[in-house]
Amino acid sequence: MRTLLRGVLRPLRAFRSRPWPAADVPLRATSHGTGLLYPEHIPTTPLQKALLAAGSAGMALYDPYRHDMVAVLGETTGCRTLKVLRDQMRRDPEGAQILQERPRISLSTLDLGKLRSLPEGSLGREYLRFLDVNRVSPDTRAPTRFVDSEELAYVMQRYREVHDMLHTLLGMPTNILGEIVVKWFEAVQTGLPMCILGALFGPIQLSARNLQVLVSKLIPWAVQNARRAPCVLNLYYERRWEQPLKALRQELSITEPPMHVQGPA
Amino acid sequence: MAAPRIWGLWSFCCRGWSRVLPGCRLPGLRSSWPRGPLGARPLSQEKRATETHFGFETVSEEEKGGKVYQVFESVAKKYDMMNDMMSLGIHRIWKDLLLWKMRPFPGTQLLDVAGGTGLAWVLGDAEELPFDDDKFDVYTIAFGIRNVTHIDRALQEAHRVLKPGGRFLCLEFSQVNNPLVSRLYDVYSFQVIPVLGEVIAGDWKSYQYLVESIRQFPSQEEFKEMIEDAGFQKVTYENLTSGIVAIHSGFKL
Repeated sequence: MRTLLRGVLRPLRAFRSRPWPAADVPLRATSHGTGLLYPEHIPTTPLQKALLAAGSAGMALYDPYRHDMVAVLGETTGCRTLKVLRDQMRRDPEGAQILQERPRISLSTLDLGKLRSLPEGSLGREYLRFLDVNRVSPDTRAPTRFVDSEELAYVMQRYREVHDMLHTLLGMPTNILGEIVVKWFEAVQTGLPMCILGALFGPIQLSARNLQVLVSKLIPWAVQNARRAPCVLNLYYERRWEQPLKALRQELSITEPPMHVQGPA
Repeated sequence: MAAPRIWGLWSFCCRGWSRVLPGCRLPGLRSSWPRGPLGARPLSQEKRATETHFGFETVSEEEKGGKVYQVFESVAKKYDMMNDMMSLGIHRIWKDLLLWKMRPFPGTQLLDVAGGTGLAWVLGDAEELPFDDDKFDVYTIAFGIRNVTHIDRALQEAHRVLKPGGRFLCLEFSQVNNPLVSRLYDVYSFQVIPVLGEVIAGDWKSYQYLVESIRQFPSQEEFKEMIEDAGFQKVTYENLTSGIVAIHSGFKL
């Protein structure tokens, strides 16, 4: 628990060395053209980030339907990790291209007709099937607001939009069990504090049987695959729609799940 | 018109409310308002005539009504709960003090404007009330006048609809008179309130607007002068909680 807390707190400590305006200086004074780094940006002081992190963590536990709180928690605790991820992307040729071109996965950018016409077993067709079966849409991802860097805000946004890709790659549905498995994979792959917290606290709500299956089979499988696979943020998914899912899994050294996890309840 | 029903309701149950009462809502919505003479101390005197403030932002006067409307649309669902959380329930004491000052009795015809989550209500515009002249004994507005685009017009309307001898009462955030309290209040306002808004209501921006609009509102003395300019007499004010809020009172004589 202490190491977890340290992981969460470390990014917060990094802020103190930078010169911040006095606590009572109204921040909105900067938000009209001058202080905003990107359209959705809300500049925040270290104190506000700390309060937001604590508040959003509490609210997310209290009301699991507040997905926006999980997003806020990620943004307020992930700054240092986002830098590491960004640097990792820069070093990879495909990742660097993503940072350069900033592709977005949303209903407005996806050609659903084209995806539907792709052969069975291709990434694009299977991704679409995942969206249909689980009745989700790529547009439910909240925009990043509390990250104080335009590039890092994109990295966070990309991570969110790639989340559904991971469901497809890992063959996990969007029920609580499936989400926890994906969170474990993401926690090992990205190191984002929010993923780690989600991976550790998510199972609290599970039944004993599910917990047993999770701990004995699914988590070890997810962790093993996450350590083996290259960083999933470095994949330009939009250029790989035709690639057979099996081939992509092989490329990433992702094995079949040890058991079939039932679809959404 | 619904007004007679409201009067009936009010003359019956005038005593002992502990909550803000019904009245007109949605101030400043009219965009094609003919320009009347401005009060002697309009808020926007430092800016060009067509511009005003929306929190710390500068917007056109036409825009402001719509933007304020959006804020209150957004906060409506969790309005009472957020008020309790932000003020730790103290807003109820402030409102009780307002009622105590008013000392209503059965038969008092009362109009409460920007009534929030009250009982029966009439939809209207604080700058153009749907009531005849000289109708009410008391006009109250609690935490509403700050959001009106043309405060001077709202004050003039208040004066119009009050009977001679009628009383104007306004409960509103004001300027803190104690430097230590002021510092703590600023930190709380700007650091904590928007966070509360985000965590509880999922809405940072509306609560950022709230704390900024408080800073933009005139001081106790300035507001007193505005009330006098609208024709009220014996205008006084009373600070509550070191001036975090103030109750202004005036009479139509």
